[in-house]
Amino acid sequence: MASITVPMPGARPQTGTRIRVADIFRWSVDHKIIGIQYMLTAGFFFLIGGALAMGIRWELLTPNLDVVADGQQYNQLFSIHGTVMIFLWIIPMLAGFGNYLVPLMLGAKDMAFPWLNAFAFWLIPPAGILMLLGWFVGQTEAGWTSYPPLSTLYSLDGQTLWALSLHILGLSSILGAINFIVTVKNMRPQGMGYFQMPLFVWAVLATSIIIVMATPFLAGALTLLILDRVAGTAFFNPAQGGDVLLWQNVFWFYSHPAVYIMVLPAFGVISEVLSVHSRKPIFGYRAIALSSMAIALVGFTVWAHHMFTSLTPELRIPFMITSMIIAVPTGIKVFSWLGTIFMGKIHFTSAMLFALGFLSMFVIGGISGVMLAAVPFDIHVHDTYFVVSHLHFVLFGGSVFGIYAGVYHWFPKITGRMMDERLGRIHFVLTYIGFFFTFFPQHILGMAGMPRRVSVYAPEFQGLNVVVSLAAFVLGISTLLIIWNVIVSLRSGKKAGANPWRALTLEWATTSPPPATNFVGDPVPYADPYGYGTTGSKAYLDALERSYGESEYPSPDAPKTLQKVGAPAGD
Amino acid sequence: MNLTKRSPESSSAGISPIWIVAGGLAIILGGLIIGSFTPSLLPPQASAESRQVDDLFRFMLVIGGAIFLLVQGLLVYSVVRFRAKPGDTGDGAAMHGSTTLEFIWTIIPAIIVTVIAIYSVVVWNSTHSIKPNEQVVGAVGARYAWTFNYNVTSETLPPGLTVDQLPTDTQTALNDTGALLFSSGQLHTWVNQPVAVSMQTNDVNHAFWVPGMRVKQDLLAGRTTEVRFTPIEAGVYRIVCAELCGSGHGNMAGSVDVNGNLQGAWLIVHESEDVYLREFYEPNARQLLFPPEDPALRGRAILASGKYPCASCHVVNDLNWVGAVGPNLNNVGNRAETRVAGLSAAEYLHSSIRYPGEYLVPGYNNLMPQFNPEPDQTNYMPEDDLTAIIAYLLTLKVDA
Repeated sequence: MASITVPMPGARPQTGTRIRVADIFRWSVDHKIIGIQYMLTAGFFFLIGGALAMGIRWELLTPNLDVVADGQQYNQLFSIHGTVMIFLWIIPMLAGFGNYLVPLMLGAKDMAFPWLNAFAFWLIPPAGILMLLGWFVGQTEAGWTSYPPLSTLYSLDGQTLWALSLHILGLSSILGAINFIVTVKNMRPQGMGYFQMPLFVWAVLATSIIIVMATPFLAGALTLLILDRVAGTAFFNPAQGGDVLLWQNVFWFYSHPAVYIMVLPAFGVISEVLSVHSRKPIFGYRAIALSSMAIALVGFTVWAHHMFTSLTPELRIPFMITSMIIAVPTGIKVFSWLGTIFMGKIHFTSAMLFALGFLSMFVIGGISGVMLAAVPFDIHVHDTYFVVSHLHFVLFGGSVFGIYAGVYHWFPKITGRMMDERLGRIHFVLTYIGFFFTFFPQHILGMAGMPRRVSVYAPEFQGLNVVVSLAAFVLGISTLLIIWNVIVSLRSGKKAGANPWRALTLEWATTSPPPATNFVGDPVPYADPYGYGTTGSKAYLDALERSYGESEYPSPDAPKTLQKVGAPAGD
Repeated sequence: MNLTKRSPESSSAGISPIWIVAGGLAIILGGLIIGSFTPSLLPPQASAESRQVDDLFRFMLVIGGAIFLLVQGLLVYSVVRFRAKPGDTGDGAAMHGSTTLEFIWTIIPAIIVTVIAIYSVVVWNSTHSIKPNEQVVGAVGARYAWTFNYNVTSETLPPGLTVDQLPTDTQTALNDTGALLFSSGQLHTWVNQPVAVSMQTNDVNHAFWVPGMRVKQDLLAGRTTEVRFTPIEAGVYRIVCAELCGSGHGNMAGSVDVNGNLQGAWLIVHESEDVYLREFYEPNARQLLFPPEDPALRGRAILASGKYPCASCHVVNDLNWVGAVGPNLNNVGNRAETRVAGLSAAEYLHSSIRYPGEYLVPGYNNLMPQFNPEPDQTNYMPEDDLTAIIAYLLTLKVDA
């Protein structure tokens, strides 16, 4: 019989603490405020990265150069697009989710190191501005991968600012990861062993382990790059004994694990959303938890698959083998997620729509990833639009869809308001269609012969490029819908109860928004965070509902006065 | 189909085996259909390597297509079949997992990737191996043009020619170095001839990619790298730079001008060795061995060979150059006389190639590489090449 964590019957739960706009611009050590700060900052940079993408696609409507001034300016566009999207959007956005949710999911009052938490966040806005300031001294143009000698001997001062900015962002990332690891290790409540943690927490833990092990290598590479550029060293200059492959190896040793940093937390979000909105236990909890750890570790052995055309030929096959291996734990997750919704009771909330969209789109990215691991085929498509397609399928179809699902799922908890479901559905449809037609044709472009990072291309590629660009404009416009939804819902969204989705994880066992100290007393977690479908979980959820008010999915046994009129959200 | 009476832990979840088999067959069939799109997705198969690579891709596409259909199929089925009915806020089945299923979907993907890996190793070993009797061509990548270098040795003189028939200068050079080389902006070979390209870069990393051949290899600063392929179809194949190298990265791909002429880097596969020798090798070798007396003709030959990357930036109608980055040179013979007070036309042209930043033409950026006089410097251009080039440029006049 599971324990129930609600206060004594009759006791009123403490009311939530609303976060004001002024709080967002101020130093605070409250993880909830810091989490929101991360998310809003990241959202701002998402728009910048997206605007740059619109510029790129506008240029690529024609085979000739007719929008940007010259090839160099085009190179600057996609270099900043990539860097901003990776380091100033996805990584901090997912860190924001982690920051907001991990203490709540663990029933804790805050993270292990609240001051460090704030410090790590406040490194980000200046680093982002520093990177954009490169515009005034000649912006970086060597791609987010910044290969020497292009980035050392043939690039302008913005390249140095880029490297310094990344140094700061890497530091922020490491400090946040240390915080998460200690929090998860030390601050789980009574009754929550590692295998009773929500999968989102597992995901954040695995991600943090990767960050702590890999990011120092990025710091090393960036330091060598900066020294080569300003101090006359020759780490990457063969004319004086250096080696250009040194950069490639050290950079990718970080940057491959970095892609798992970008996707594992999104996997965690998907596990939460799929389970709650199909009202069914996660299928294969242990497999999903342990496969995250497996991906984290094996992810360190695959980096040179980004270098199949520059790596010593003899080393290519070993890296193909490790890259193939890592497909297996990812496949386990996808099938486990399918098993989760199978035989569930699926509610088509916006959060669920994006989680389902993730399932269908991420799989395509996974399949193209295995194809890229096959050396002979990769030789043909390396550095072409096939790779651009793959990376966007996993980063947009994967991570961004996961982020959107998380926003719709946890917005009620964070703000105390529900988002507009109709707007959410339109957002989903536009995003799904815009996304698919932007990126799927790029597989074909790459295989047919279009390289990446070019502003001019052979005329026979124009047809598909026009399709891609028009779809990209739709995708760009669709982003405005969720922004609009957030704004409108903040002002006049339906009030959300403590547990609108009738979910079992601990963040829902408190008001929406939570009080400053998160919980009343020391919460005791329900034994199984995914224990839907049992009488025990139903009793627990019913008790929560009695204490905190009605939910979007009221208990089937709830007295008529508490039951909502009409269909649950999503139908 | 009654799903509630079976045990929730049953791995088939109450679906009869008929549906599982039928579904499996449909997915396999679907995968095969998706895989059949392979030829329309890839360029025509023009190399021995392309057949093997395309077959590997088709294999992966069939499997990937089947997996895609499986996942989408289960997704759509679940979403339709297990949709919560309006007003139903109850929970779904309390299923936590199934060891059998989890084992199956671990072991089958593991087998699949193992098979793909083994297949890839076989293809790699075959495509990557050194072939007998390779034609070795040197290649230099530079911002932003390709140069291919062909050796002429005393053993490979055009037919009917012996060493003592050559001019004395040429004979000395041949004896000293063992081989002379001529350059071209295009890579020439012939059907069924294995080619090995030995590549270096003048500046940043580039990558040599011929989509029609399915081969690609980076050019790395400070190293010599190699790529090999064997064309099996005569024709012309675009050469593309596939490593970001600067503002002209996209311009380093072969293109076609408004008149349908090939521009920039192309792989030309002649129908046979005889055609290759007759149409490409021998005329160029003769020009190398018997340089034209007239400096202007010699200069024209040097520029036409692609030895220097001028075509990527300048327009010269006589040479079919359509570069869009630098000043149009069609009338440079006239303009050079009055460009800079105190400099003769020849002096001005000399300066604009040795020190291109010195007298920038208004409206143009300082993008031109500097061509240096010493062999150990980058962008080496010997003085007598430069003299010949200037002589030719001085003939470029558009009469009013």
